[in-house]
Amino acid sequence: MPEVASQYLPILLFIGVGIAFSLIFVGAPVLVSGLVGTAKPDAAKLAEYESGFPAFSDSRGQFDVRFYLVAILFIVFDLEAAFLFPWAISLHWTGQAGWWAMMEFLAELAIGLVYAWKIGALDWE
Amino acid sequence: MRRGGRTRRAPFRTAPSDLKTLVTAVFAFYLFAGIVLLSGAATILSKNPVHSVLWLILAFFNAAGLFILLGAEFLAMLLVIVYVGAVAVLFLFVVMMLDIDFAALRAGFVKALPVGLLLAVVLVSELLLVAGGSVRVVAGEAAAPLDGFVGMTNTQALGSVLYTKYLFVFQASGIVLLTAMVGAIVLTHRQRAGTKRQDVGAQVARTPASSISNVKPVSGEGVSL
Repeated sequence: MPEVASQYLPILLFIGVGIAFSLIFVGAPVLVSGLVGTAKPDAAKLAEYESGFPAFSDSRGQFDVRFYLVAILFIVFDLEAAFLFPWAISLHWTGQAGWWAMMEFLAELAIGLVYAWKIGALDWE
Repeated sequence: MRRGGRTRRAPFRTAPSDLKTLVTAVFAFYLFAGIVLLSGAATILSKNPVHSVLWLILAFFNAAGLFILLGAEFLAMLLVIVYVGAVAVLFLFVVMMLDIDFAALRAGFVKALPVGLLLAVVLVSELLLVAGGSVRVVAGEAAAPLDGFVGMTNTQALGSVLYTKYLFVFQASGIVLLTAMVGAIVLTHRQRAGTKRQDVGAQVARTPASSISNVKPVSGEGVSL
């Protein structure tokens, strides 16, 4: 294991502790109520109560396609931000060429941003 | 994970005698790799496509853990940020947007089975052809830094070639992103008639003189503003 990875060991331990505790907190009530509670299932217990109304439709309806556009725009600028990290710490080796490479990359995406803004794709109406 | 004595360069900075670290690393590797395999299988086996995407996210997380074990921090974070944060959400949107009757899709399983098996056989034989013949990974050697990158961290080494040696590929990826963006806008964006939009400029340009007026209402007729 490289030195880098061993620094992440506490996080792994925290994840393990978190999973264990959440299992306890979720599992213990289920276990206790299963052991000591009474279970008398009835179809009437799942029916709509008093002023409730029957479901209009299936809960898995179609999404508006506009959400997809938001997700695509998010991915594009997410990747742009991700490319900035190795660029920022390796400028010492890449120098001027690396600087201008990123500027050109940013300009390409800025064109896209201007287009999206102008055409109104960022508005929600 | 085996640390044989045949590597000349020391790929790991920890001492080879550090048995506890090695045991932890091996344990973590099998934990992550096992979960990746199981959740990968669950991705293709689960009946509900939304559950499939959630299993895929679990697989991504554990693949990120494998990257961290290799010391590739940046790739691990990229996997979490880009794949879990964005691509998986996109998959969920697509699954939820397409109103497909998945029971009807599965009905053709037996009919499509021969074609699927044929494809699987082709893919497996290709994999064996590539991995079985020429590639031999000596333990440790794969993780050793290449000659030009001594003294750099993993991410710095990545950046030092990405923006110089692979400049055109990098710029091409920018163009691809731009195309994806413009394509998505062209395909999905449309002006909806009858919706009220906020016009910030008009709001700011309002003055008291243009927005207040005196009217003398006639009884029974109301006012028009």
